[in-house]
Amino acid sequence: MKCVRCLKDTAGLLTKAPDGSGAWEMYACSRCNFTWRNTEEDDVIKPELREKSFQFTQEPEDLQILVPIPALRK
Amino acid sequence: MFRDLREFLAKLEENGQLVRIKDSIYPEPTIREIGRAATDLPNGPAVIMDNIKGMKDMKVALNVHGSWANIALMMGLDKNTTVQDQFFNFLEAWDKYPGEIKNIDSAKAPCHEVIVKDNINLFEHIPLFRINKWDAACFLSKACVITKDPDEPDNFDTQNVGTYRMQVIGKDQICIQALGFHDIARHITHAEEQNKPLPIAIALGNDPVLTFMASTPVNYDLSEYKYAAAINGIPMELTKALTCNLDIPANAEFVIEGEVQPRVRVPEGPFGEFPGTYSGMRLQSVIKVKSISYRKNPIFENLFMGRPWTEIDYLMGLNTCVPLYKQLKETMPEVHSVNAMYQHGLTTIVSTRNRFGGYAKSVAFRVASTPHGISYCKNIILVDEDVDPFNLEQVMWSLSTRVRAEKDVIVIQNTPGMPLDATSYPAGMGNKFIVDATMPTAPDGLLRDSKLIDNPNSKPFEKVIADLQKAALGK
Repeated sequence: MKCVRCLKDTAGLLTKAPDGSGAWEMYACSRCNFTWRNTEEDDVIKPELREKSFQFTQEPEDLQILVPIPALRK
Repeated sequence: MFRDLREFLAKLEENGQLVRIKDSIYPEPTIREIGRAATDLPNGPAVIMDNIKGMKDMKVALNVHGSWANIALMMGLDKNTTVQDQFFNFLEAWDKYPGEIKNIDSAKAPCHEVIVKDNINLFEHIPLFRINKWDAACFLSKACVITKDPDEPDNFDTQNVGTYRMQVIGKDQICIQALGFHDIARHITHAEEQNKPLPIAIALGNDPVLTFMASTPVNYDLSEYKYAAAINGIPMELTKALTCNLDIPANAEFVIEGEVQPRVRVPEGPFGEFPGTYSGMRLQSVIKVKSISYRKNPIFENLFMGRPWTEIDYLMGLNTCVPLYKQLKETMPEVHSVNAMYQHGLTTIVSTRNRFGGYAKSVAFRVASTPHGISYCKNIILVDEDVDPFNLEQVMWSLSTRVRAEKDVIVIQNTPGMPLDATSYPAGMGNKFIVDATMPTAPDGLLRDSKLIDNPNSKPFEKVIADLQKAALGK
């Protein structure tokens, strides 16, 4: 399934409404870690309606690391 | 005062500071709309929602710290206490450190009433929701996160209790934002140097003072638990975690336990942050969840954060003022009080006695060189000691009547800045803007016609009039 944010085919069903009512389903992208519920506003969950600046167009490994991975102790 | 969140919610309800929304709502966008509304109202109440679609029998609490009335009640004060009086009360309680710790047997701890260790799916137990529209996922925005330094596993005082934003990325996976200057970053780094997972506990729905202290910048080797006990005035009840050696709040509504995976970073963000803007995406550490435990009928307490002011500004307000005040007072006893409530101190107002000509400006330089002030305090306003820095009408009166632009306004360029502040450019650089709105004293030139009108002895009549007002309402 296509992720609505990074548009790669790396998303899938995460979970369903826990009370078994079928009120919603939630999906997650294993590449960019975006999650969404199928009951959210159209401009959040439809890629063509989402604000461009909140789409993810980079490669994940190019993102900045805030706490660097330290050298291993000897 | 309050052993747990439930006792505080009862106190809020008794004082008209808690409401319940019974209507059936979708998690998005309604929860955020309710969070925004609650914080926008004068003396905004806490709100409990318990009829969320797909989440039968689950409860969300928002805005628990979201007004001065609620903060005053947390401190055991009347809900109408002025902010400056709340500040002085907090200062007094701060000095009672350390408070007492009471250990509760794990099997008897309320937070262990229900335990889940297999087939963990956080969404089956916690009513998670997207806080702001362009957040990357559901975030935990008000948790107390507990870790120990792996190099000092038996040191209780360096055990850290902090609030960090956390993005739920899977049924049993959570990203955590650790910034370099956060205590938890030190723990993660020490574990990663040894390529070891770092045990971590995430306590949700705590007594209000513990939550308050978890977002207070205290020194690395001072215990947030002991501070919470000192300020709360009762022992802090802790128990042992189920999967590791951490001490966790025994009366938390939920406790998620897991391990920070060593030497792994995954995409996190954006998230609507405290300056009122979204932070970007970064690579952050990730937690693998090993257990979740909770009380019967648990309440999921979370925090809505939007364009200021929202709950976070109340939560971080006084606890930013107090450490700054303490540091100033060490060398400048003339300082009377400190209002650093605006975006964690980006704007800070200090009331001080202007001991001799130009002295107040020296106080500003000291603010700009305190550990917190170096990068946060960029707009610094000085007012006289008889001006309440929490009363903006009085502050504006000082600016209007005491500032000589050519002498009292200073800009120092290219100083450290706060990276999350959008004006900081490049991120981490900034300026200091100082406005001295104190009355000039000798040998400085004095103001013309500056003889102040005396304040009459009106305090006793404030009570008389307030009581008459209450009686008039009762009729």
